[in-house]
Amino acid sequence: MMRGVMASEWLKIRRKGIWLLIALGPLGVVGLQALNFFLRYDYLTKRYADDLWGAVIGNVHQLSVPTLLMGIAIVASMIAGIEHQTNAWKQTLALPVSKWCVFACKFTLLCTLLVCACTLLAAGTVVLGIALGYGTDIPLVTLLVKSYLPFLAAMPFAALQTWLSITIKNQAIPLTTGVLFSVLCLFGTAVGDWVPLKWLYLENQWNEPFYSAGPGLLLGLVIYVIGLIHFIRKDVS
Amino acid sequence: MWRFFRSELLKLRKSPIWLLVFVSPALSTIFGLGMRIAPEMEEMAWGMTYTMMAAPHGLLFLPLLTGVLSAFVCRYEHVGGGWKQMLALPVSRGTVYVVKFVWVIGLLLLTQCLLLAGLLAVGTVKGYSAAVPWDILVSSLVGGWVACMPLAALQLAVSVAWSSFAAPMAVSAIFTLPNILLVNSEKYGPWYPWAQPMIAMLSGAQQAEPGVLGVPPETLFIVILGSFIAFFLSGFVYFQRKMI
Repeated sequence: MMRGVMASEWLKIRRKGIWLLIALGPLGVVGLQALNFFLRYDYLTKRYADDLWGAVIGNVHQLSVPTLLMGIAIVASMIAGIEHQTNAWKQTLALPVSKWCVFACKFTLLCTLLVCACTLLAAGTVVLGIALGYGTDIPLVTLLVKSYLPFLAAMPFAALQTWLSITIKNQAIPLTTGVLFSVLCLFGTAVGDWVPLKWLYLENQWNEPFYSAGPGLLLGLVIYVIGLIHFIRKDVS
Repeated sequence: MWRFFRSELLKLRKSPIWLLVFVSPALSTIFGLGMRIAPEMEEMAWGMTYTMMAAPHGLLFLPLLTGVLSAFVCRYEHVGGGWKQMLALPVSRGTVYVVKFVWVIGLLLLTQCLLLAGLLAVGTVKGYSAAVPWDILVSSLVGGWVACMPLAALQLAVSVAWSSFAAPMAVSAIFTLPNILLVNSEKYGPWYPWAQPMIAMLSGAQQAEPGVLGVPPETLFIVILGSFIAFFLSGFVYFQRKMI
């Protein structure tokens, strides 16, 4: 059942510009950091002389956090908006598939797209670092950690945005919460370790990125299950 | 035109749009309340609180909110197939477009007023002894509002063109997120239309300590007016010719 629904979901997002956004997000972040590094090449190269690759990866990561949050909100809204726009929720749910399956597939779709974006981000970072002439001594572990763990830490937001986008017809509301999160995350490093927005920066008092990603995954699962139950019991209008 | 303006009000009256207008001022007010000001800085308390509140508001919130509001005023037409119905009424397309634009900037003005109200509330709660610097506050808030107009013009054009709500927001986000890097750049920031709300809102308040931004007002004027004319005209002409 899941496979059929998933295939239909992939079909629905064709020619909607979603892939364009998934590519544009990471490439935009890398492009902006490229501008930043090339324009201030001498200054930044001197300032970060002892860890050039770390600086590139770190700077890309910093900028990718608000972009990730905004991207999650927009893509989640696009995925759910297909049914809202054409008033097709009844139609979709009248098919011989269970409601949880539809919800799960939308969420899986969002996650898959996000993983693609993370991969592009990692690849773009490597290209940027090499283009800057920082050598090929790439710290692979740091690169993978900073590219993929924010995605796990962002699970609560992905689950929340999917839930809001699917259950609220007026897409202005989920998009505004997305805006709210991306503004708030700029202050993310200044708050306590228990605030989910800080997890995205992978910073905590133990200096262990997995301690940020783990709770993110867990809280994401909790919100996902709550959203799923709410969606299953909700009437479709 | 006035009647048409009122018919838009009817559409928006019972919608959550009023909630959206409150979000940013409310958040900024919480920031303002949470901020601590040393006793020796009491003289500058208003300016400092304002800067603290206006920075997140102008950097991302205001440009992104412009996108949400523009998409919102087109939502009823897109969802219910209302464009046909509306344009069948004895109103010109030009009027429709201008009225929608006026609504967007009207709601933005309301947001700015609410921000001011929030600031005054913070000041009253904390009992600032200094006089309220009305001229700086009003000129900064109005400046931020004016700087949003080109953005609103572009967003309205995109919102009219695409029926999806998220697509115009994507455009808004694509252009607004670079702000995070660009406002730090004295060389490039002033030329970027999306950075203008932030620059306009903060440069006035920082005149007390000059040289922080050091941007000649002429540059801002050219960028804001130039991009406004370009965006508004292209959207206007596009809507005139669009097949509904």
